[in-house]
Amino acid sequence: MSVQKSWAELQKMHRACGIVVDTLVALEEAAVPGVATKELDRIARERIERAGARPAFLGYRGYPATLCISVNEEVVHGIPGQRKLREGDIVGLDLGCVVDGFFGDAARTVAVGKISDEARRLMKATEEALHSGIAVCRPGMRVGDIGHAVQQHAEAQGYSVVREFVGHGIGTSLHEEPQVPNYGPPGRRERLVPGMCLAIEPMVNAGGPEVRVLKDGWTAVTADQSLSAHFELSVAITRHGPWILSEPYPYAAAETEARHA
Amino acid sequence: MPETPRDAMEVNATVREALPNALYRVELESDGRGQALAHVSGGSSLLRLLPGDAVVVELMPYDQGRGRIVRRRGSGTVGALAAKERDSK
Repeated sequence: MSVQKSWAELQKMHRACGIVVDTLVALEEAAVPGVATKELDRIARERIERAGARPAFLGYRGYPATLCISVNEEVVHGIPGQRKLREGDIVGLDLGCVVDGFFGDAARTVAVGKISDEARRLMKATEEALHSGIAVCRPGMRVGDIGHAVQQHAEAQGYSVVREFVGHGIGTSLHEEPQVPNYGPPGRRERLVPGMCLAIEPMVNAGGPEVRVLKDGWTAVTADQSLSAHFELSVAITRHGPWILSEPYPYAAAETEARHA
Repeated sequence: MPETPRDAMEVNATVREALPNALYRVELESDGRGQALAHVSGGSSLLRLLPGDAVVVELMPYDQGRGRIVRRRGSGTVGALAAKERDSK
């Protein structure tokens, strides 16, 4: 069972997640044809450090960079390097930071220049799948309901969801209990309770769900080389429903001090 | 940043060989995973699997060489017929 965060702790999560998403917005603008993925990593690190936070991924289980950059058929965990982005690429940017002891984690897939309709449709479906997962984040629902909602949405559009990687609880570590798969039957797994924080992150493939990991030990690619998209947000369960932690608290201010549990 | 699942994970597989005691040798479709031994539990539709049938196998992360066939995938008869044809040659 995941740790339930206090209101004060959720404020710290809010700060960390805000820094991550602000940085992702800047990176989206910087992801233009010709830019090296290493350069995006440098920008990410600089912005995170300027905001008073530190990169969460750098050194995590030996991961060598601040940002994960996964281009086209790369699913997740692409390592920044000399590769230059090209017009038409779709680029998964996954970023985490830690500030004041609390972690923020988010990802989005962005377009480099003009992309195909097919790629745009995949990105849209993946982001919508994320939001259909977030929509069920209310006390009393279960972690399996999230995965079920995500899978239903993605598969209804003819796509497949990756099984080999899952979302996770988040808080004072990058990965906490419970794990949050993007698939599976509803009504199963842990019950959602107020104060729980989850990083929900569908990875959706245009082709089959199979992935393989390249020799670098990190980069996951689709086995059939089809395009893949990845969107992630960190979400707190509150008494009133989901709070996307990178956004302002969405419920009436009078209720913000509500004690949970 | 996603993590790898700790509990059972479903992967696509193809039946290669039927063994005694409702045990099957299956080929896992995810590259580099190779073959696994999988059993079926209950489910009458799973009791007559033939080589070539497309199935979904549940694997445990601590022993990916063994799993459980949880359901058929698509039309099982297509693969079965092809396998029969091949066997009769």
